[in-house]
Amino acid sequence: MVSTLIPLFVDALANAAIIFFVAFGLTLAFSVLRVLNVAHGSLYSIGAYVAASFGLWIISAGLNPWLTFPALLLSAAFVAALFGPLIEMTLVRWTYGRGEAVQILVTFALFLILEDLQRLVFGVSSLYADTPMALLGISEIGGIIYLNYQLLLIAIAAVALFGTRLFIRHTRTGRLLAVVVADREVSEAMGINTRRIFTLAFTLGVFLAALGGAMATPTMGVAPGLGADTMVLAFAVAAIGGLGQIEGAALAAIIVALVRVLAIYYVPELDAVAPYIVMLLVLLVRPYGLFGKPPVRRI
Amino acid sequence: MLSVKNLKVEIAGIEVLRNVSFTLEAGKATVLIGRNGAGKTTTLRAIMGLLPSKGGSVQIDGSELMTQPAYARAGLGIGYAPEDRRLISDFSVEENILVPALALKMPMAERRRKLDEIFTLLPQLTTLRSRPGGGVSGGQGKIVALGRALMVAEKVLLLDEPFQGLAPALALEYARTLATLHDKKRDIAILVTESSPNLLKAIAEQTLHIERGALHDVVV
Repeated sequence: MVSTLIPLFVDALANAAIIFFVAFGLTLAFSVLRVLNVAHGSLYSIGAYVAASFGLWIISAGLNPWLTFPALLLSAAFVAALFGPLIEMTLVRWTYGRGEAVQILVTFALFLILEDLQRLVFGVSSLYADTPMALLGISEIGGIIYLNYQLLLIAIAAVALFGTRLFIRHTRTGRLLAVVVADREVSEAMGINTRRIFTLAFTLGVFLAALGGAMATPTMGVAPGLGADTMVLAFAVAAIGGLGQIEGAALAAIIVALVRVLAIYYVPELDAVAPYIVMLLVLLVRPYGLFGKPPVRRI
Repeated sequence: MLSVKNLKVEIAGIEVLRNVSFTLEAGKATVLIGRNGAGKTTTLRAIMGLLPSKGGSVQIDGSELMTQPAYARAGLGIGYAPEDRRLISDFSVEENILVPALALKMPMAERRRKLDEIFTLLPQLTTLRSRPGGGVSGGQGKIVALGRALMVAEKVLLLDEPFQGLAPALALEYARTLATLHDKKRDIAILVTESSPNLLKAIAEQTLHIERGALHDVVV
């Protein structure tokens, strides 16, 4: 019993780590900009494509295969630097103050553009770049076999979670970010260049999505349609955790991944809907998500 | 020091400020009096660049503010305390006061000097320093918002209805604090909005009356 459950649990946590990165980026950008970026999932799949292509190139060029690890990080940074400021300063900035419907339409249009752009650049056949996973191998503890790459994913997600807390709590930029999240207008009046903070937060969100995609590549094939699936899942996770709640997203990612793995194992026909059943149940009881707080009404 | 000329603001197509003009002088306190909805808050928000204006100009020492982004005000020495305090609830009182210093990258020594000065001017804050911004009373919050505005108010201090919602004793205390401040900081221009002139009679060197978005010389 235990020997079957533990690998399932590790599997779920590794999946949770990937979803967490995407939901984290979504929720971070939302809490600062108050814009729900529907194209967020595309940045995840672009991160995956860039990382897979880069990894495959490293191998085909005969370079040291261990270089595929920094390549994952570099790919995410490249995608963030390329798309973050570009999208925020043009399309997203244009939607500020224009209402949610416009924001969703505009970012949905962006999603469609980015999806086709990926087909144009990377083609429609799947890419497989599992070198990092193969290099790390497996470990056997107490008769149970673990994929070391999965353990690494879990560790990196934990580092990202605590690192962000430290960043927000102890750096100037992090503190200013928190002020902008709490009160935009006061931020301006106190001398904070909120536009710069918006660009930064959006780019950080893109980086997290792309990093999720890049780190997922060794565990799966990269194919068209990945962005849409991930987007819906990340949105469910962000909603369960409470929009804007980083710890909430982490907990929700674990819950969703666990439910999913258990569904695959026990009731495979529910695999695809399991995350949304969880979302439905959580939002019925707590409409603002697990960690979300209803807006305070000022009198 | 700060001059407002023909300031016009429209909200949803309706004129809420009509050609408002006045000047604030260094070392002088001005009171802007008007009923609810007369345009007091709108005047301050327009000066701060938090509302788009339809025309007119606001200059500080001859340089135009209307063409600059809102966040530039703090760096130019304009401190602002909004009517509803607007403290960051999970920052401590001291951290709240330090937000402008952080935004403007004030050097450590200057930060400490200003903080000391603020705590001397507003001794009520000393015991509240480490309390979270969300955990102070309305009256205390007004003092914190004043302290935060003082962090940058080298030239101009804008206070929006600081007495609104204060119990009479607290309002009196706030008025006394303001009088001390006015005495000690002779180089800054102070603008306070209020619905009744009584509490500020003692310090007001200039009184402006606003009604339906326009300034009047005489009380109607």
